[in-house]
Amino acid sequence: MALNALELIYKRLRERPQELVEARANGAKVVGFQAYNLPEEVIYALGLIPVRLGSGGDGDLVEVGGRYISTKNCVYVRSTVGLFAENTDPYIVNSDIVAFDATCLQTFRTAEVVQYYFNREVIILGVPRNFYLQEAHTYFAAELRHFVSRLEAISGVTLTRERLADSIALYNGIRDAIVRIYPYQATKNPAISWEQVFDVIQAGYVLDRREYLGLLESLLAELVQQRGAPVIGGEDDEARIFISGSTIPPGDKKLISIMQELGGRIVGDDLWSGLIPYVDVQIEDATLEALASAYLNRTPHGALPYLELATDRRIKRLKELITTFKANGVIYHTLRYCDPYTFKAKETKDILEKEGIPLLELHTEYAGSDFEAIRTRVEAFVEMVKLRAESEEAA
Amino acid sequence: MSAVPQYITRSSVSDTAEYFRYPDEVREQFIATDDIEFRDGSRVTSLEVWDYLTQVGPVKYPNLYDNSSLYTGRLSHDVTFAFNLKNAYLSMTMHERMTKAKAQGRPIVFVQGGQSVDPYYAAGAVALRPASTGSWARGQREGLTRNQDELESRSDKQKAYNAISFEVCNSAGYEHIQEGNVPADMVAPYTALRCSDVSYGTEAHRHGPRAKEVKLLLVDYPLDHQRDKEWAIRYFADNLHRLTRSIDEQTGRKTTDDDLAREIKLHNEGRRLAIEIADLWWSADLAPTNGRDRRSLFLLGGMETHGDPVASLSLLREARRDIEKRVRQGHRTEGVLDNAARLFVCGSCVFPNDLRTEEAGGIIVGNDNHWSDITTLVNEDGDPYYELARAVLSYPYEQPLKERAGWTVDQIRKSRTDGVLFLYKWGCNTQSAIARLLVDEIKAQTGIPTIIIEDDMTRTQTEQLQNRVNSFIEMVS
Repeated sequence: MALNALELIYKRLRERPQELVEARANGAKVVGFQAYNLPEEVIYALGLIPVRLGSGGDGDLVEVGGRYISTKNCVYVRSTVGLFAENTDPYIVNSDIVAFDATCLQTFRTAEVVQYYFNREVIILGVPRNFYLQEAHTYFAAELRHFVSRLEAISGVTLTRERLADSIALYNGIRDAIVRIYPYQATKNPAISWEQVFDVIQAGYVLDRREYLGLLESLLAELVQQRGAPVIGGEDDEARIFISGSTIPPGDKKLISIMQELGGRIVGDDLWSGLIPYVDVQIEDATLEALASAYLNRTPHGALPYLELATDRRIKRLKELITTFKANGVIYHTLRYCDPYTFKAKETKDILEKEGIPLLELHTEYAGSDFEAIRTRVEAFVEMVKLRAESEEAA
Repeated sequence: MSAVPQYITRSSVSDTAEYFRYPDEVREQFIATDDIEFRDGSRVTSLEVWDYLTQVGPVKYPNLYDNSSLYTGRLSHDVTFAFNLKNAYLSMTMHERMTKAKAQGRPIVFVQGGQSVDPYYAAGAVALRPASTGSWARGQREGLTRNQDELESRSDKQKAYNAISFEVCNSAGYEHIQEGNVPADMVAPYTALRCSDVSYGTEAHRHGPRAKEVKLLLVDYPLDHQRDKEWAIRYFADNLHRLTRSIDEQTGRKTTDDDLAREIKLHNEGRRLAIEIADLWWSADLAPTNGRDRRSLFLLGGMETHGDPVASLSLLREARRDIEKRVRQGHRTEGVLDNAARLFVCGSCVFPNDLRTEEAGGIIVGNDNHWSDITTLVNEDGDPYYELARAVLSYPYEQPLKERAGWTVDQIRKSRTDGVLFLYKWGCNTQSAIARLLVDEIKAQTGIPTIIIEDDMTRTQTEQLQNRVNSFIEMVS
């Protein structure tokens, strides 16, 4: 049965670029951003329009971007620079200000390159590496205050407690709705696939956030009406695959298409372009200090090194999500030169091996030249996972 | 076939290799030079250095005496420059000196290169940058030819690739520390933008075989106009406090503010000497040393090369006098053309072969990496942690790109550079990312030619790199 809200989300996505043009003509300002620890709440609270920038899957953009930044940077970074160089993407074109954070150092470098070559007004939010220390929270709160002061100057609006509280409530609603929608894709004969949920999450990068929350609530209501509470599970011989690793931004469909074609079913992820940013955000108060701490207290992004394996919340969360979504194999997706995730691939494989969970690392980029190589490896992996599932069922 | 100089001998190991020997005729002059003083109060005389270099070294480390011009690490032939011999001695004795320091109870700490090491020494530790870690590990293998040594090194590095990723550039000493070749107690580098691999490499130590023995810590270096942000300076100062407290846990003593203030004074002297040497070197009509010795000399101002700042100071003080004398006398350096094309190297931790660059008619007169930290003096008044933090966050190399370019242009002008090479190692994300930007800005400000080259940091397979450098020299000459 079709999901009306899902269709509406796709429709509103198609309409969004023109809406931004009109909003800007009426005096609104758009803040395009690429970041992992930038609290969007502050952008929205100041009456600015937040739009997450970046796309994947286009080898031409990578090539163009590589002329400005290096070929030794990950393809997502190169693709982003390519977007600015081409300047035809509606979200790039309509960004009045561009914001980046320093979670990933290559993103930080992207900001410098974009500022220099494309004459964009760029704001950067510093992010501490030692995110787990109290002094890092103090530093990050100060960085956030500095960031907000620059946005206040641009918007002409002062960030009040009330404005921030309203925005936090809105974003809490979005996060809550996504976390509640997400399990429906992992059920038997699901009403919505993981790929569709992934699209829904990424629609939230650009749609008006209040409208987006309404759409999410409608979608959730339809899912509840059709299926009741989600019961996670599937067929006995299913290859239920969990995706981890480097970001898979809008437009990068290579791995997802291959999985679909070969009968592997994606049932979960801990991607920063997927579920993980919406999990475990606990904002204790409508203050910048509380917001800063809440963002640092989330499951950390791979670009923030954590030095003690036994207490690493990223690993802990990964194991929990694999269990929750009853995955029986992990595809660990790494983009070439994405050090934050590539450096952890073997370690993650070793850890999951002890739990009896097989992991396949796929090291790739946006060119189509490795399509068949990846297809062959995924095919073998899916077959192996299915056989293991069957034999475990028989036992 | 050209005549073989008397101080070069044929190898008994290989009929193609030639081995360098220090010539007897410079012995008397050399042994009259200063002793080297060490941090533990000991010293070696120049005679002892001479005996080591001429009797012990050739037997223990024949690889280091390999005289091939293809060998980037070839010993300098400027045998009348006392610094050159003493610097070689300190490199060759890394293993025995560091083993002794460890036995004396000094914690061994892995650090990022090109950064101030003042707080590590203030807390009583020995700070080892990546190259020094490798030097210590390699010093344990004796009697190897250059090719054997190169193979062993590649084999070591492969262990890091296997444990972390084949895209590792800098593995934070993983292969030596986790394999137990170097008995490091801590891995505690700054997280500066200079090298992102060091931070991820540090994280990788958590799963190594010695994970439980090696303490890990990152000294978190804030980004984006950090020197202008009071909260960033305070945060970095807090990180420095955390660093010294962590080392204190190893030593059982408490590092005081006075300890750090004293150490800053000592390191400032090294930095000042290096700056004075650079000014002298750059002021000379004729290059007073070859490019290899210039680099080693300037680098020594960072006090991080040999694991002993007091020994480094000892060499710098003497070298300062010698360079001044050479400049005054218009010393002509063997192998360097009077009108050599003067090159400045930007980028990450790779370098062309100095000797072959000079054979092609060029000379490398300066570099930004391992120099911007040395040119940044620390204010000796006030809270030493705060002042050190302020200085470290002010390194020109770590500033927004236009500011970094502005500082680089100053160095280029001072050194009368004819052309700029931006070099980066394969897999180096954060320096390669801004290679074009930096050279475009330098070109816009100075109009001098620039070139960007990628290298894979092997010691012998450098033809790809050198061909481009040589063509560039031809163009700028």
